Amino acid sequence: MQTSTKWKWLALAILAAVMLLLPQVVKSSFAIDIFIRILLFSFIGVAWNLMGGYAKQLSLGHAAYFGLGAYTSTLMQIDFGISPWIGMVAGGIVAALASLPIGWLCFRLRGPYFTIATIATAQALMLIFLKFRDFAWGAEGTTIPNLGSSPLMMQFEGKAAYYYVVLGLLTLGLLITWRIERSWIGYYLVAIGEDEEAAEAVGVNAPRIKRDIYMISAFLTAMAGTFYTQYIYFIDPATAFSFSISIEAALVSIVGGIGTLWGPVIGTVLLETASALLQSWLGSNTGGIQLTVYSLILMAVILWRPTGLMGMLNEVWQRRAHPKPARA
Amino acid sequence: MLETVVQAVINGLLIGGIYALVSIGVTLIFGVVKIVNFAQGEFVMIGMYISFFLATQFGIDPLLSLVVSMPTLFVLGVLIQHFLIRRVLGPNDMPQIFLTFALSLLLLNLALLLFSANYRTVHTSYSDEAIHLGGLYIPVAKLIAFVVAMALSGLLWLFLHTTDLGRAMRAASQNRDVATLMGINPNRVFAVAFGAALALAGAAGSLLMPFYSAYPFVGQVFVLMAFVAVVLGTLGNVVGALVASLMMGVAESLGIQFVGADSGLIVVFAMLLLTLAFKPSGLGGRRAR
Repeated sequence: MQTSTKWKWLALAILAAVMLLLPQVVKSSFAIDIFIRILLFSFIGVAWNLMGGYAKQLSLGHAAYFGLGAYTSTLMQIDFGISPWIGMVAGGIVAALASLPIGWLCFRLRGPYFTIATIATAQALMLIFLKFRDFAWGAEGTTIPNLGSSPLMMQFEGKAAYYYVVLGLLTLGLLITWRIERSWIGYYLVAIGEDEEAAEAVGVNAPRIKRDIYMISAFLTAMAGTFYTQYIYFIDPATAFSFSISIEAALVSIVGGIGTLWGPVIGTVLLETASALLQSWLGSNTGGIQLTVYSLILMAVILWRPTGLMGMLNEVWQRRAHPKPARA
Repeated sequence: MLETVVQAVINGLLIGGIYALVSIGVTLIFGVVKIVNFAQGEFVMIGMYISFFLATQFGIDPLLSLVVSMPTLFVLGVLIQHFLIRRVLGPNDMPQIFLTFALSLLLLNLALLLFSANYRTVHTSYSDEAIHLGGLYIPVAKLIAFVVAMALSGLLWLFLHTTDLGRAMRAASQNRDVATLMGINPNRVFAVAFGAALALAGAAGSLLMPFYSAYPFVGQVFVLMAFVAVVLGTLGNVVGALVASLMMGVAESLGIQFVGADSGLIVVFAMLLLTLAFKPSGLGGRRAR
């Protein structure tokens, strides 16, 4: 146990060093763009995983929070000149507050009903932002004014700085997950995921824990929305509330292994690498190919390895750490 | 004014008939197999493409192509149930939700690869025809679709209530274990239920073709409506899904008429969210409190 912990910290230190040095070594902006995508979707996956993985509340509506975060910071920036750094936190607060009524509606439903209701709430928010043309630019969306280099406004020259911002976000998400996983809340969440009635019967205040964790999950997802909008300098309802955001958040977690700290990261690395490779092999004319491959990977994982890649790694690890005793 | 309302109600009922075919399929699968099929909309899309190609390659009327699309999708449903769904049946929701969800992604994107994102239309002799009743206007293609949809729903109801296999299905949906003890083979019943549900989706696709465009994302429109209808009408309840579908068609149509062209869906979602807010227990959520 002692040595395995030591190895874990060493591996983590090496990983941290590699991640910090990466943009200094790799200068290709195409490659850094892929790294940023991997970090961003890992972060969204980590946020989703808090609810979807540990408590098994399978939301397909996290785009609601992504979009709210994106719109809050952008409206604050364009209408009042407020820095997206502040807007990112404000967006998180808006999303966390929005998660209260949405959670109130959806958490009364279980299983597939819950999933359907989350889809509906995200779609309804998208329709509302499409409808409010005067307030939030309607379907056309708007570009974010480009100030060149302005770190205080979350605008940087070159992609390396964006890389470090999203690396920081992912680190934050992982730290929060790690803290929760190790606390009593983590055990309660898993208990809720296993059997909510049984958990409540032994005194777990399931509605309150779900509400609190859902708020944290919404907050983090909204931060991702702000970052993404700042990164691509553009916002519109179809992108900000895109169903594919909700899909990807769940997908990377399931492929990597739900309810594990590193699952969403591993899932994202696999899926984004696959999609980057496909794009470079097949050129940009790949309408549909990427998600076709995604869905095949997802089906394969669900049918053969429902515990995800983390589950597979754990099995291998367990077998090495505790070899089966020879048959007597 | 009254005429406008009546016209909007008629339009809503006509499209509600198509929603009914999709939502009855979802509710049938849920009732019998206990799975929410997120890919139901994509089977509507497949039905549309089948009819489109039969019409453009062989000049077959989309309504006649029903006799091809329904059996094809029935067989597809049996195969999917046998090779995919059967493997994830169990107490855990996660694999079930995401398997059909992955299937939906797969079919949608395969369609995108094979047929591109272009809109495909079939023009029939009756595509532009309409019956004028006083000041009212009833498009013939939609009327035919509605009548056939209602007939198919009626046939399904008769099948569930008068045949042995139908009774076995209802029994399996009420209590799978007891049904098995009574000598019902659940695998066979599940396969037929899945096949029948997909056949209904295929029928919806063929019926839509004379007045609606086929494109890879078309199923998403219908599956969203179907989910709302199915939740409103109590999951697993065929008659409930039918009534809710017609109601939603009317609500959507009234929304478009009186709130704005882009507001049909907002009205539908408002209906869903209000129902969830005030009557979650009446939704048929298995363990909804």
